[in-house]
Amino acid sequence: MLSLFRPGTSPLHRMLAGPKLALLVVLVLTVSLLPTAPWGAAVAAATCVIAYLFGGGMPALLLLARQTWALKWVIAFMLIGQLIFLGPVPAVLNTVRVTAAVLLAALLALTTRVTDLLDALERGLAPLRTVRVDPARVALMLTVTLSTLPVMGRIAHDVREAQRARGARAGVRTFAVPYLVMALKHADELGDALAARGVR
Amino acid sequence: MVISLRDVVVRLGEVDALRGATLDVDARTVAVIGENGSGKSTFARLLAGLVPAASGSVRVLGLDPARDVAELRRRVAVIFSNPDAQIVMPTVAEDVAFSLRPQRAREKLSKDATAARVTDALTRFGLTELAERPAHDLSGGQKQLLALAGAFVREPELVIADEPTAYLDARNARLVGDHLLADTGHRLVLATHDLTLARRCDVAVLFADGRVRSTGDPAEVVSEYEALLTC
Repeated sequence: MLSLFRPGTSPLHRMLAGPKLALLVVLVLTVSLLPTAPWGAAVAAATCVIAYLFGGGMPALLLLARQTWALKWVIAFMLIGQLIFLGPVPAVLNTVRVTAAVLLAALLALTTRVTDLLDALERGLAPLRTVRVDPARVALMLTVTLSTLPVMGRIAHDVREAQRARGARAGVRTFAVPYLVMALKHADELGDALAARGVR
Repeated sequence: MVISLRDVVVRLGEVDALRGATLDVDARTVAVIGENGSGKSTFARLLAGLVPAASGSVRVLGLDPARDVAELRRRVAVIFSNPDAQIVMPTVAEDVAFSLRPQRAREKLSKDATAARVTDALTRFGLTELAERPAHDLSGGQKQLLALAGAFVREPELVIADEPTAYLDARNARLVGDHLLADTGHRLVLATHDLTLARRCDVAVLFADGRVRSTGDPAEVVSEYEALLTC
């Protein structure tokens, strides 16, 4: 899984959350829309490296390598799927562009405190009030989704361990049912915890 | 009266979790004991406004949890047994700060004031060194201390704790108990299976079969409960 916030003093860390979000959205869209050509992939990779040099909380290229390694299965899945249907060159070029886009998006989480992101989203979504959508609620939903990812990972680990402990064979149904039950239970408890903290 | 119940029935699906509970308590720390399924957790959740009463009347700090829910949430903090389910934000400091969000919006609490209160809470619960750590990476005991910090940073009048030591080892259970029972101007309702902790409260309430069986001096109520267990 990609890493969450890492404290630091890089230019991206110091940038306000709102403008940073806008900048990274523009970069991700630009990289995504580049043509499937060698120069497109090169620009995508270079953009990614430069962005990490501006936002790395640790030696930037090491951080980039770690983040890329964290995506290894996603990259393998993308690459193999496209190798079958598109051939080797387009498959590699597309995978480089998509990986660069994902890594750029991850920079937001790496360099921004969720609290600041929550504030920025609330401000940015304020116009939604005119159509009776509560921006605080939408921002909170996005934030809670982000922070629940590690819990979902841990629940999956617990289910697999429980299966192994009882000698059960791995299977979609034997995994999915308890996973869903535990995830729903967690959602229920989290709802109570939010209510208890005054979130309505 | 801090807590007042009159013939309260709480229905959870097809089951009556509370069956005509009646209670008047006015003490700083109240222990709630009883077997699994006796109604003590439902009682805690009822006081917190997390489950409604099907009938009867409930008063907590003079408020009706069903009608005055916003006011209740301002004045009451809740701590659950599972510390994982109480973590909302990725890092320790952010999770504590999250508790102040409703107050920040309501009372225009400044960023500096928020940060100062978070720092105080982290110091009080020994979490300063862990402030930037991912909250989900903490140990069970540290997570429950984080839950306490998240609750106490709001400076609640009443803290409702539903088996807060259930997932903890003896050392952490004692630490969490010490923090909860410390007199810092709050009142406490503590639903627990930890009878040592219950004995340290001012008043104990024994639940059995969805009703209040007895209320009074913790030593006597705990003895009555222990006698029941040996029957």
